[in-house]
Amino acid sequence: MRDMIVSELSQATHEVVQEFAHLLPRLLVMLIIVCAGWLVAYLVKAMLRSALRLLKFDRLSEDAGAAQLLNKAALPSSTELLSRLVFWVVLLGFVLLGINALGVIALGEDISRFFLFLPRLFVAVLILFFGMFASSFFSRAALLAAVNANLRSPRMLSYSARVVIVLLAVSMAFEELGIAENTILAAFSIVFGALMLGLAIAFGMGGRDLARQFLDRRFAEERVPAKKEDELSPL
Amino acid sequence: MPSKPDALWYKDAVIYQVHVRAFQDSNGDGIGDFRGLEQKLGYLQDLGINTIWLMPFFPSPLRDDGYDIADYVSVHPNYGTLDDFKGFLDAAHQCGIRVIIELVLNHTSDQHPWFQESRKSVDNPRRDWYVWSDTDARYRGVRIIFVDTENSNWAWDPISKAYYWHRFFSHQPDLNFDNSAVREEIWNVMKFWLELGVDGFRLDAVPYLVEREGTSCENLPETHDVIKELRAKLDQHFPVKVLLAEANQWPADLRPYFGEGDEFHMAFHFPLMPRMFMGLKLEDRKPITEILQQTPKIPDVCQWCLFLRNHDELTLEMVTDLERDYMYDEYARDRSMRINVGIRRRLAPLLENDRRRIELMNGLLMSLPGTPIIYYGDEIGMGDNVHLGDRNGVRTPMQWDGGWNSGFSTADPESLYAALILNPLYGYQAVNVQSQKRMPHSLLLWTRRLIQVRKSTPVFGRGSIEFLYPENHRILAYVRQLGSETVLAVNNLSQSAQAVELDLSRYQGSIPIEMFGRNLFPRVGHLPYLLTMGPYQFYWFRLRRL
Amino acid sequence: MAEESILSDELVRHLISVGEVDLLVGVPTYNDARTVGHVVQVVRAGLLKYFPRERAAILNADGGSQDETPGLVQAASISDARNPAALRSLRTLHSISTRYFGNPSRATALHTIIAAADLLQAKACAVIAPESSNIEPEWIDRLLRPVCRQDIDFVTPLYRRHKFEGMLVTNLLYPMTRAIYGWRIREPYPAEFAFSGRFGSHLVGHEMWREEACRAGAEICFTIAAMAGSFRLHQSFLGPKGHLEQSSPDLVPAMRQTVGTLFWSLDQYFTTWSASTETKGVPTLGAEYEFMMESVRVNRERLYQMFRTGVAELEPVLASILSRATLDELKHSAALDEQQFQYGDELWVKTIYEFAASYQRSVINRDHIIQALVPLYRGRTCTFLLQNREASEPEVEQHIENLCLTFERLKPYLLELWQGRKGGS
Repeated sequence: MRDMIVSELSQATHEVVQEFAHLLPRLLVMLIIVCAGWLVAYLVKAMLRSALRLLKFDRLSEDAGAAQLLNKAALPSSTELLSRLVFWVVLLGFVLLGINALGVIALGEDISRFFLFLPRLFVAVLILFFGMFASSFFSRAALLAAVNANLRSPRMLSYSARVVIVLLAVSMAFEELGIAENTILAAFSIVFGALMLGLAIAFGMGGRDLARQFLDRRFAEERVPAKKEDELSPL
Repeated sequence: MPSKPDALWYKDAVIYQVHVRAFQDSNGDGIGDFRGLEQKLGYLQDLGINTIWLMPFFPSPLRDDGYDIADYVSVHPNYGTLDDFKGFLDAAHQCGIRVIIELVLNHTSDQHPWFQESRKSVDNPRRDWYVWSDTDARYRGVRIIFVDTENSNWAWDPISKAYYWHRFFSHQPDLNFDNSAVREEIWNVMKFWLELGVDGFRLDAVPYLVEREGTSCENLPETHDVIKELRAKLDQHFPVKVLLAEANQWPADLRPYFGEGDEFHMAFHFPLMPRMFMGLKLEDRKPITEILQQTPKIPDVCQWCLFLRNHDELTLEMVTDLERDYMYDEYARDRSMRINVGIRRRLAPLLENDRRRIELMNGLLMSLPGTPIIYYGDEIGMGDNVHLGDRNGVRTPMQWDGGWNSGFSTADPESLYAALILNPLYGYQAVNVQSQKRMPHSLLLWTRRLIQVRKSTPVFGRGSIEFLYPENHRILAYVRQLGSETVLAVNNLSQSAQAVELDLSRYQGSIPIEMFGRNLFPRVGHLPYLLTMGPYQFYWFRLRRL
Repeated sequence: MAEESILSDELVRHLISVGEVDLLVGVPTYNDARTVGHVVQVVRAGLLKYFPRERAAILNADGGSQDETPGLVQAASISDARNPAALRSLRTLHSISTRYFGNPSRATALHTIIAAADLLQAKACAVIAPESSNIEPEWIDRLLRPVCRQDIDFVTPLYRRHKFEGMLVTNLLYPMTRAIYGWRIREPYPAEFAFSGRFGSHLVGHEMWREEACRAGAEICFTIAAMAGSFRLHQSFLGPKGHLEQSSPDLVPAMRQTVGTLFWSLDQYFTTWSASTETKGVPTLGAEYEFMMESVRVNRERLYQMFRTGVAELEPVLASILSRATLDELKHSAALDEQQFQYGDELWVKTIYEFAASYQRSVINRDHIIQALVPLYRGRTCTFLLQNREASEPEVEQHIENLCLTFERLKPYLLELWQGRKGGS
């Protein structure tokens, strides 16, 4: 009996050692891939950082309002953040390649799905970025127009414009990523539709007289010739 | 003479204005005469003209170049005898050339026997043949015509101790046409010459025949009555003879001189002439088209006479002040060229001896509606001499060749009635008939060709005119039409090349045939007809439908 | 060449017929039937009265009017006795109306006129605003004579204005262009002006036509190009300025057309204006200025309220444009009540210069920078109105002159901002 146990143990140990010996080169390859990946990721990060600095990406994201958001969240600047993100994505990609090299089949499909997911992630990030930019631009435009037209609550108008555009951008990003697509779409439609309907009712009922005056001024034959008091020609 | 006299022969006439004194001297006294003129009829026949208008050749003290007549029914001895005149007249008729002579009706010389009689006393039978007054207060405000030399229309006669009326020089007292005896005598004068064989009269200074208080003493109804009377007698006794009016008036005031075809047959279109020169300088057809638009229609039997220059100054009476100043500045910057509200220069010097402009102006003369008159010497581009007094600078001897006195006279050069033009540009050595006959493209031979083309169709003399108004204002274009004959004349008034699009839609399908070279041009289509024209170029196209 | 693409075939055909001219008068229009007939009649009368011998033409560049505008212009043509006008003229006077390509735009109309003038080799060209219903024939003489007879390249107008009219000109455009470019041109944004063939040739192929900022305010671009180049300048007094009766120009587009273009030009002509250190007078025909002194009611309170609201609501925007010191001063002023409020010359000039520098650096969208200036301008007009409420004509002029001198004195400050030594925000 003792001999049998010794013999089984030896055989088991031998098999493990053999497995290990079989795995070791793959492990080695994986480490090499990961190291190479780290190098590549670092290079890409450095090149991207330089490129973004050249394109004054920080300025753009200031305009977009992204810089302020990042600041508040105590995150680094847009250039740095994007560079680091790209670094980690590239590194992750190489790690997954390395894991793939290990030959664990079950992981293979997941790894492929991850690589297929990357372009959509990139597009979603772009949508978000441009959405931020547009929201900043249009909210400022709305603010300036409202102030110069002497409308009440210009900030609210400006803020509303920003919120609507951000919501739209976020919805589009989520849709692109395929995360809770239908929920997001429905939620956005409901919110946006309700907002517009509310505005229409408010304007239609509350602004009836104003609307009539506006139309009269625009389309009626006889125009009221009297100048307003403060409308001396500036030129 | 033509075998069948055409009642409207004057519409086809090409008239040559000449002073017998200036044309050819046959007897070596330095003054042209009728025998000399007769010798040169061949030249005129060759040139192609068919009518001569003779300036006054009557006995005269010649203080106004013969317009101060001292005897209406004779010939000044300087120019020959009455027989010489008759000989010339017959020879002209033999050559197919008609002759119109000039009669100054309005006034005579103060040397005329009539005036000599009239001034003797208030009881003289001829007293009333002139317009006398004890004061110079009558007819106040009437304009003075010779502003450079006269300061009143009344002159004091020391013999008669009274004032006499004169619209022109003070030595040219006005006849009194209120007197029937005057009118009768004038008819007798006309009859005398008509019986000799002349083909018509140019009647000088007709607007001024009659005076009335409180008027301008011009163009009065009574004046027209006088004309009508004379014309009636002419038609009765001498049909196919012509009366040509010299009346420097606006077109609307000229119109009455045609009456209803019972006054003058022809009248000079004075207002058109300065405007032709103006249009050329402005490079704009507006002055020309404007005056012709304002020209009233005349009876079918009547005719305008057109001219570029004549023995008088280029008159600027019938233009606005703005236009007059412009003409002076452009054509007579040198004040010595100006006289009596006009410019005393010949055609070639006015146009700076520019052959293109001379051709263009002659082209207009021959193609606008009316009978053209060529002033002697302009067919070779003679120059002028502004330093001779009055308007004598444009009345210098004809230049026949480069020899002795330019072939005009065998007399001593110093004894010529007027000095020849001598400068290198216009002098007789450079500008003369003989030289130009030897040059195929000389102005003389070109003018001959021009007259030939003009006479090839009656449309120029008898046809209607319709102006085209292309947007390019530098182009003067018009269509002349008579029956089925249609001629398109296009003139570039500009010194630079021009493109013009003509609306010829009415003539769609016609083939334009250029009349000088007889070459075909592209058929008229439905699009505007594009022509490109060189500086001062003109085209005459016969539009044929085939 | 640039002009070939902006001149339609139809216009070129007309120009062929017109041929070389001595004078061209351009009238840019868009639905101006109410006034253009009278304007063109007066232009014609002026040409015939003062330039009877010159070859002249009138060109109307129209943006596609739906009213009678083109027909009214063509009716002014004088040709061949078909025009019943009693006025006698030596020459044909062409009057052409053409529709230019694209949307109605004053810049395109002006470009068409300038290109046509160049093709026709016009020695002098004048542009007349179609709304100048109080135009007199003398205007044609005063605009064109300096070009024709005195070899001037660019003539700007002088107007008789109400002292509170054209405050954008008296408080910003005139003082700033004077300080920057060194020429005392009172109306740098002229409705009427004239130029020589030489200057027209310079303008016709200029790159300004491709720049949106320049097209928005072409007139002030011309003035700046004339001042910055070595062109001979002149001013002519005309009379009261014409305005469209029933509209008062919206301030924001007015600022874009003038201030926006002015700011844009600073970059283009930096070499020229940075070197200019003194201002020079321009030969003038007639009075230098004339004010109408009638009292007019202006709602100063509303202006002040809009200024205050602007400063408060636009603080984040202003913070990215102005320096901290200037913004603080503004906020301090905005906190005062209307009677104590004063937007002094020095603060105003600093505001403008900081705006100009920020515009150059595009700290935010440039159009937003211009819009942000509007409420501050209202604040400035408030001060100007108060300052000159009881002022006499010489006093008003003195106040304007003081402002000009302040602009000139602070020019080095602008240069520092430009070269980035002092940060804007």
